Amino acid sequence: MKELLEILNDLRPDVDFTTAEGIVSDHIIDSIDISSMIAEIEDTFDIEIDMEYMTNENFDTVEALWAMIQELQE
Amino acid sequence: MSITSLSFILFLFICVVLFYLCPVRFRWVVLLVASVVFYAICGAQYLPFICFTTVTVWWAGRRMGKLYEQEAEVLKNLKDRKKKKDVKALYKKECRRTLVLVMVLNIALLCAVKFLKYFVPNINQLLQWSGLLDRLLQGEEFTAAMIIVPLGVSYYTFSTVGYLLDVYWKRYAYEPNLARFALFAIYFPHIVQGPISRYNTLGQELKKELRWDTSRVCKGAELMAWGFFKKLVIADWLNVFVEAVYAGENTAGLVYFVAILFDAVQIYTDFTGYMDIVSGASEIFGVRLEQNFNHPFFSKNVQEFWRRWHMTMGGWFRDYVYKPITVSGWMKGLSKVTRGRLPDALRRYIITAIPILITWFLTGLWHGTGNTYVAWGIYYGVLITLSTICTPGLQSLGRKLRINMEAPSFDVYRMVRMFFLFCGGRLLTRPGSLEMSRQVLYAIFHSFQPWTLWDGTLTTYGLTVPQLILELAAIALLWWVSYHEEHKGPVRDALEQQNLVFRWALLYVLLFAIIIFGCYGPGYDAASFIYAAY
Repeated sequence: MKELLEILNDLRPDVDFTTAEGIVSDHIIDSIDISSMIAEIEDTFDIEIDMEYMTNENFDTVEALWAMIQELQE
Repeated sequence: MSITSLSFILFLFICVVLFYLCPVRFRWVVLLVASVVFYAICGAQYLPFICFTTVTVWWAGRRMGKLYEQEAEVLKNLKDRKKKKDVKALYKKECRRTLVLVMVLNIALLCAVKFLKYFVPNINQLLQWSGLLDRLLQGEEFTAAMIIVPLGVSYYTFSTVGYLLDVYWKRYAYEPNLARFALFAIYFPHIVQGPISRYNTLGQELKKELRWDTSRVCKGAELMAWGFFKKLVIADWLNVFVEAVYAGENTAGLVYFVAILFDAVQIYTDFTGYMDIVSGASEIFGVRLEQNFNHPFFSKNVQEFWRRWHMTMGGWFRDYVYKPITVSGWMKGLSKVTRGRLPDALRRYIITAIPILITWFLTGLWHGTGNTYVAWGIYYGVLITLSTICTPGLQSLGRKLRINMEAPSFDVYRMVRMFFLFCGGRLLTRPGSLEMSRQVLYAIFHSFQPWTLWDGTLTTYGLTVPQLILELAAIALLWWVSYHEEHKGPVRDALEQQNLVFRWALLYVLLFAIIIFGCYGPGYDAASFIYAAY
């Protein structure tokens, strides 16, 4: 979780991601940063995020993102 | 069969009677049979094309669904992470093969029927060289008129390919029943020009228990009447004027300017009129079609406009083209490689622009294949890219200049600006060629001739003074309805609160207005809905 928060804070240092909701649907991270964020997450956690995981629900909170990463690591 | 013809009304009436006479669990079968009959009446020669798409896509969806079921069974018994990854990769590869095969076949078919007309001389040469010209065409030349363009081919291909991609991405389960899937593909209210339906919405709507509901049936009929009004009283009369202006020569700039404004209203009322007719017809059966328009002329910027105009097409390109490009391996690679190497601002511009420009180039091609549509696609691609990139800077500039960007007057300015940007896009495609578009612009800036507004010139383009006044009054009514719906909710809901006598009286007024003021002149082709050609 710490590494994930580091990736997110690197993109938007001004946001407290531990409490943020609607990270993607409220454009806290915009479409420009999404490809960077996904690339970083894939590298850091050695996973591949397919289109089937590209839903707002999976990206809107840090908890949902973390749950998706863990599922992909299984 | 035109949606605005009496034969369609009669067809719909027979369908509704048969539908509600049938037991509830067989009602979807009535819709399927009615849809096939409707399609066959429109052109029996189109049927093999839609059957091919339906069967291949259904088969591919089923095959991928079954492969995923097998994958889940195998994964259940595995503990090792590496082995699990290998199994997933294996099944994914197999599914991808099926997906690519069927997608390529269907998109190739769509491209063939849309683009083949540009290769007629080459096809003739090929047929001559192979000796097939004599055998197949008895020595006659192959012409563009021989190409069969199936009714609604862009719409049903996009709807079914969307289903295929969703099943591949495991967004929802596949449809095991071919007849059910066929109904989704060919359902007659959405086959001619959309909306581009999603299987998880329309497919599920068609699986509901479709029962009689008086209030819903009445609201469906009201929506149909409003759609007929928009199409026959506004769109088709404005079309007479716009066609005459673009067919003329030495036209004054002001006349062109009026034609541009009328054209914007015409395409809006033509397309939304159609949508209201088919959505109302579908509501009578209890099937809600997806919303395709949400008062787009109230949009304040170009992104918002495309979230409100032809929403199902915008949503399709967003979900199946733009998003996959944004998160594709090469975009992620580009993002990684440029990080730290390029100035951040430049990097953001590049990463923003690439997916938007590709998506809008393809959107332009979807609308048409000439250079006007390519220019149109690039026009919106550039506008959206500039809007995305420049908005933060412009907002900051506005704050520095102490402009109140929350003021209603500023909203009005942004709406008017968006309306003229939309007119700019229409100016690229409507006159017929980019050279003609240039001439129109030249006339507006070099030969405006403002006196043509009152010297009677405007009445020489197919509309008399009373007709022009009628159109302006109808546009004012359209604006009032849109304003009410934008700020206070659907007019039909407000009407539901009124007395029955008032509602019936209003419906009669609307029907008489359609009958008396509708455009049914000689040579008028009621079938020529603009978006049916896409």
